[in-house]
Amino acid sequence: MISISNIERFATHDGPGIRTTIFFKGCPLHCPWCSNPETWSVIPVLMHDLKKCTSCRRCEKVCPAQAIAFKEGRWTYDQKKCTQCKACEEDCLNEAISFCGQPYEIEELVKIALKDQDFYIESHGGITLSGGEVFMQFEELKQLLKQLKKHDLHIALETSGSYSNQKLQEVVNDVDLFLMDLKHIDPVKLNQVTGGNGKRVLENFKYLAKEHPEKVIIRTPVIPRFNEDKETIEAILDFAKDNHIAEVDLLPFHPLGKSKWIQLGKRYPYENEKMMEKEKLLPYIELGKQKGIKVRIGG
Amino acid sequence: MARINIDGAQNVEISKKIPCEKPVIEQLEIMENYTNAYKKHINDNKAIREIECLKTIFPVLFRSIEDDDLIAGRLDFLPIGFGSVTSIGGVGHYCVFHKLREFKEQLPEDQRYRVDLLYDFWQDHDIKAIYCQDVLNDTTTGRFIDCKYPLMATARLSGMMLDYKKLVGRGINGLIEEIEAHNTNEFMHASLEALHLFKQVIKNQIEKVDQAKQNANEQRIEQLEQMQADLEYILDHKPETFRQALQLMWLYALCAGAINYGRLDIVLGPYLKHDIDNNLLTEQEAYDILRSLWKMIENRRTTVNGRIIVGGQGRKDVEACDLFAKICLRVCKDTRYVEPQFTLRFDQKTPKDIMDLAYECIASGATYPTLYNDDVNVPAVEYAMRIDRETAKQYIPFGCGEFVIQGKSVGTPNTLLNLVKILQIALNQGIDPMDRKYKAGPVFVKPLDRFKTFEQFYDQYKELLDYYFELSVYAQKHSYEVMNEEVSFLFNSILMDDCLKRKKALLDGGVEILGGTNETYGNINASDALYTIKKLVFDEKKYTLDQLNEAALHNFSGYEKLHKDIMSLPKYGNDEEECDELANDLFEYVAKGIRNKGIDNNMDYYLIVISNNQTNTDWGHETDASLDGRKRGVYMNPANNPQGGNSKNGPTAVLRSLSRFNAKYHGGSVQNIKFTPRMMHEDKEKVKALFRTYFKNGGCQLMVTVVDHGVLEDAQKHPENYPDLIVRVAGYSAVFVNLTKDVQEELLSRTLYD
Repeated sequence: MISISNIERFATHDGPGIRTTIFFKGCPLHCPWCSNPETWSVIPVLMHDLKKCTSCRRCEKVCPAQAIAFKEGRWTYDQKKCTQCKACEEDCLNEAISFCGQPYEIEELVKIALKDQDFYIESHGGITLSGGEVFMQFEELKQLLKQLKKHDLHIALETSGSYSNQKLQEVVNDVDLFLMDLKHIDPVKLNQVTGGNGKRVLENFKYLAKEHPEKVIIRTPVIPRFNEDKETIEAILDFAKDNHIAEVDLLPFHPLGKSKWIQLGKRYPYENEKMMEKEKLLPYIELGKQKGIKVRIGG
Repeated sequence: MARINIDGAQNVEISKKIPCEKPVIEQLEIMENYTNAYKKHINDNKAIREIECLKTIFPVLFRSIEDDDLIAGRLDFLPIGFGSVTSIGGVGHYCVFHKLREFKEQLPEDQRYRVDLLYDFWQDHDIKAIYCQDVLNDTTTGRFIDCKYPLMATARLSGMMLDYKKLVGRGINGLIEEIEAHNTNEFMHASLEALHLFKQVIKNQIEKVDQAKQNANEQRIEQLEQMQADLEYILDHKPETFRQALQLMWLYALCAGAINYGRLDIVLGPYLKHDIDNNLLTEQEAYDILRSLWKMIENRRTTVNGRIIVGGQGRKDVEACDLFAKICLRVCKDTRYVEPQFTLRFDQKTPKDIMDLAYECIASGATYPTLYNDDVNVPAVEYAMRIDRETAKQYIPFGCGEFVIQGKSVGTPNTLLNLVKILQIALNQGIDPMDRKYKAGPVFVKPLDRFKTFEQFYDQYKELLDYYFELSVYAQKHSYEVMNEEVSFLFNSILMDDCLKRKKALLDGGVEILGGTNETYGNINASDALYTIKKLVFDEKKYTLDQLNEAALHNFSGYEKLHKDIMSLPKYGNDEEECDELANDLFEYVAKGIRNKGIDNNMDYYLIVISNNQTNTDWGHETDASLDGRKRGVYMNPANNPQGGNSKNGPTAVLRSLSRFNAKYHGGSVQNIKFTPRMMHEDKEKVKALFRTYFKNGGCQLMVTVVDHGVLEDAQKHPENYPDLIVRVAGYSAVFVNLTKDVQEELLSRTLYD
């Protein structure tokens, strides 16, 4: 079984053509700008939408583990007590409570993936596995890739690169395209802010660049006060050039994940930050051209 | 039985009509003249009566030529007169009673009695009134549009698309010769007179051009002289040029009351090519003329009609036709009118440049062209209408999407069924919960506790549907009988195979293929409701059928958990096998049921159409809560699309559901999809691939609205800022701000893909 947070058909931002994107749960990183924080843990997580909640207290009453309680009129949730029975989700009439994360059999996912196969063929699209970090459920990932490949599907992985090179080598032949994050060129800074292993990330990039440069696109979310300075982005472009990676996608910061942080009971570190103007990044297209790199703004 | 009052709206009318240019007293006199002619010939042959009546409105009701018209011909109509359809005037000898009442208000007090006299007379002679008197009742069958009934019926002759190729190929004199050679009965005699009357109309246009010249500048005079020369030429010759052919076709369509024009690329393409090849016309001039045609069609404001169709199979001079099609695509993109309903038929062989032009036109937000897939539709029509392949290639959609064969078939949709209402009657022992009236006729509807399996309940529903199919086919056939009793539809008959050869009027055995269509509504609400019953009552045994029905009777108030359980079930439009299959099963039952009823009743074809004007909203208001989770009074699903908000798996999934129904069992089905401009432009190649795959998978038709997030909401608040925001309602397009609030809400509920 694979723990999945979401499956999106007709995904148009995660690789070439029309794709179905499967979002894995579980991530070793904890990027403070993350737009999918519900994918951090492998197990399902409860999300509570205050805007939809009418404080009817049905969830409190139905919870057999007393994990949900209204304290001084405020909805509270004790994750340690929760047995994931999902009675609260089922009983909530306002859809204020939802559990993110559902186990899927490999065959089930393959079946869903194949539903739009004719659309992939017509558009040169395929399947994208994203997350979270797909390598967190490594054994399952390997099995799924093997099964998908039997159907001759184009497969892209959206990945942080923060895992052992050995794992990467084990799957590399079953993957057609790596949409690999290079969030920062400085391994120390990358580690400090995201918790990722910067050394491994760079090592994995270099490995792919050496063995399969055609399979790699660098993706860099451009984040205020982290990597938005010209020096950092230019260094990423230089890294691409030095390693013969042809394309870098710069993804302008957006705060659209904010509501998910709140629903998870977390404070969103970028709560006052506005969406980054796409125009701000346009000059990098020209800069990329000078270096022989195709720079795209957005994915 | 008491007299049925048919005073009230008779058709969907969004676009505001241009008022008649004549003074009201003169209008009144024309209506009186018409009525007097009718009275004088009341005992004469119907064809003679018709032509005598027509003489009182033609050419007098033609309007003057407007400053930027490049072809001649604008026509008014009055609350009393002669026509084919309710969109412009009415049917046969008609009186539109509520419009006549409004007209009365414009008159001085002392003249109003004259209107009362007319009103009283026509109550017994208006064709629709006669028809309604026969067909309507207090329980099952209501007037279109009176939404309290599960079946609505009307008499009209919609969707007539005439053989204009014959018209331009022979010219008026050619037709006159044909008739004179066989002028042996009153129909033929009246037809001959109709063509002479048509010549009077042309002569009158020549005079109107003269009037227009009086205050014109030099450049305009040149245009008008060209127009006049063309009119004079076509009076006695068959047309030689593009302008002449278009002019002849246009004036004839006006006289025939035809509001759909059909495959104009076939009719006009060869003339266009000839003129361009011989330097008689530039492409820019052709563009200007067609733009003028577009405007004149828009100005007729028929709301759901105005079809011009280009492309597709069954065209001889493809190059010439495609040349015409490309100029139309440019005009369509630039004008952004809601009419004509510009339609592209295509197949795998259609040139890429035409498909790309069509895409650009759609992406610009024009909502046109609507796309019809010949690879699917031609064989489907061949089977559905029981005709040969070559004839099937001449299929064309009219109005909201019903198919006819140009110049050969009548296929007017004179019946409408509400599948949700009938389901509710099946759930309530024959009672419609909306008004507590019994509407099951002779069908014994069992109480709910008798149904031990889903199939038993489904069979009960089917039995009730069968009863309504029977009512439907009777209502359709009877509409032809009544119309045929009263009129010959002379101008239509002349250009429809095989009236002249048979020497018979259209509905008198003249037309080669006498078909018909039945609009069905709430198809998806009904199938999703059945799915709810199947899953929750019989598969999962979570509720009893009675519990579900009780909840619906209470509009789900106090049954919120049950409602949530219904809403959590898979719904049609998400590529979910089991519920899509049930939708298909119901579709096939209804489609085959109606088709077989037509065959059994000796119709050439009788087919359902899954189209929509705004009847899904109007009828929804009079339909109780349904077990798909739809609340009381809420709009029903539009055409073949899921209920707003229910498609959640993206456009590939919805298109897969939409292409599921086998097109060979219906006579037209409408599929809508809505994208943002961002997606249409930035993901252009992906959207094109999406459409191509849908069509390869059996998608028969698609229409696309392109609109941004929040724009429709803002247009509701600030209508003044959005005079040309066009949206696809379903079978037709409309300016969003002209729609009523409830229809706007239904449009907003539909999923927007970004």
